[in-house]
Amino acid sequence: MTSHATLTGARATARSPIAAAATALVLLMTMPAAAQQSTEQFIPIGRSPGLSGTQTYVGTIADVDAGARTVALGTGAARHDVRITPRTRIWIDRTQYGKANTAGRFEDLAPGRRVEVRYVDAAAKQAADWIKVAAEAGD
Amino acid sequence: MSGTTRRTVLAVTCLATLAGCRAPEPPSDPQSALVARGRDIFFNETFDGNGRTCGTCHRAEDNFAISPAFIATLPPDDPLFVAETNPALAANFENPRLMREFGMILENLDGFEDLPNKFTMRGVPHVLALRTSVVSNQGPRTGWSGDGAPGDGSLRAFATGAVIQHFPRTLDRVPGADFRLPTDEELDALEAFQLSLGRQAEIVLPLALKGVVAARGQAIFVDNTLGKCNACHFNAGANGDPRIFGPDAGNLNFDTGVENLPDQPADLTGELVPPDDGFGIPGDGTFNTPPLVESADTGPFFHNNSVETIEGAVAFYNGDAFNDSPAGQLLRGATGSGINLDGTQVVAVAAFLRVINALENIRETIALLEQSRAERREPARATLRLALAETDDAIQVLVGGGLHPDAVGHLQEARRLARKAARSFFFRDGPTADAIRAQERARAALIEETGS
Repeated sequence: MTSHATLTGARATARSPIAAAATALVLLMTMPAAAQQSTEQFIPIGRSPGLSGTQTYVGTIADVDAGARTVALGTGAARHDVRITPRTRIWIDRTQYGKANTAGRFEDLAPGRRVEVRYVDAAAKQAADWIKVAAEAGD
Repeated sequence: MSGTTRRTVLAVTCLATLAGCRAPEPPSDPQSALVARGRDIFFNETFDGNGRTCGTCHRAEDNFAISPAFIATLPPDDPLFVAETNPALAANFENPRLMREFGMILENLDGFEDLPNKFTMRGVPHVLALRTSVVSNQGPRTGWSGDGAPGDGSLRAFATGAVIQHFPRTLDRVPGADFRLPTDEELDALEAFQLSLGRQAEIVLPLALKGVVAARGQAIFVDNTLGKCNACHFNAGANGDPRIFGPDAGNLNFDTGVENLPDQPADLTGELVPPDDGFGIPGDGTFNTPPLVESADTGPFFHNNSVETIEGAVAFYNGDAFNDSPAGQLLRGATGSGINLDGTQVVAVAAFLRVINALENIRETIALLEQSRAERREPARATLRLALAETDDAIQVLVGGGLHPDAVGHLQEARRLARKAARSFFFRDGPTADAIRAQERARAALIEETGS
């Protein structure tokens, strides 16, 4: 978890010692907004409340670069590469088979597989926060 | 009485009875209808799961939380105890002992891959005054550590995570088999209902309190060289002081060292209670700031229900656990001292919190009493029961602190009148109006009122 040192609303006005301390507390101890990832695992592709359809990519993987640890999403002008970082959570969505969703691995990401991707930064679309991969028979 | 008169009286009685039993008419304005829909979902919708609803743990008659004392009143087949009655949930879903003794609920906040060992035990936070406590300039803060909701992390999304965590038929947690996920329409309604609960705005300190001890407690509370409480609980709410943290800081997370308290009740049992690392995976040890106006009647306190009394919760900030914590250390570094209140000062701050809680109870009770006057018999009785519970809370928080016997007397009278109204078949309005006046007298005993 990285510290968030760009707190927009904090003002280091130092009107009093406690003001300085409190500002420091904010800078050091508060984090960017984060959704709960543990239950997210069980939400099927396309059903994440407040994200699916607006903040995530839902579609198929166009290509995978294992060396660079990126996946290519989209087609034509919308095609873009997304980094899979050590912090990216990968889950296998097995809901359609009536099975519990499980943790996945980078190797589960393959061209043609249906995925939902949440970006770390929805505007930049450079790194994945999490990826849900639709299960295939046998997963 | 003649036969004709008797028949007329009987007919009128039957008609009145039928009128009283008719289903309530739906609210006319869209927002009220959405809130009503949300209330229905909150208390009745099981989402095809194990039988629990949102109201299973967030009890309206227990301040939308649930305490060990309340749990002790529930029948064995209450859905709260589903881990004791459903074999599929017997292991790794709840800890029945910790639930019954300390009101603790099991959560798999850091993942579901090692259920026997990887979990946290937390109390049930009330969902009052959410209108004032969820927003921060870093996004919405829900649950004890601020990251309680999946999806976009919003209050609207919270129910989806709650269904997955608390409602499943089996621990496979397969949507469509173990539960169904809330629809967008249901999430909208649940959010609207939850935002309608309790205070809709912050109080503004200082209040013109009449009691000398509570007034002194308020002065300590807002003194940034003594109590230092107001910095993080601005106006006794859940948000940081905007003069210190910026105008839009809102709700903040801190590591105050609660996890380092010695002799935590749950630990004393010998049951496995893994450390709770708070916000994020892995957690950073921080938890978000709860509102204090509603605190005195919603104990036990802190995310792990580790302190039973409001005096103990205030005294926590005197101890090593807080003063050695990251939050306490920075406070000490900047001000030259930690928080170091004497016994009388701890009690005074707690008295302040008790009085503002009672004032909120009175505000809510009067609103409920007014609401009941516009309702038909059965809905009105349900509303009056909530008004009685609120009044009981006000009495308890004042009596528990040895505060304001005059106000307590008025509250007891208000309670008697509200009870009379709840029992009355035809003549609710008179005792309800009298109960409102008694509540107002109780409020006037607590605080100088500048206007009507």
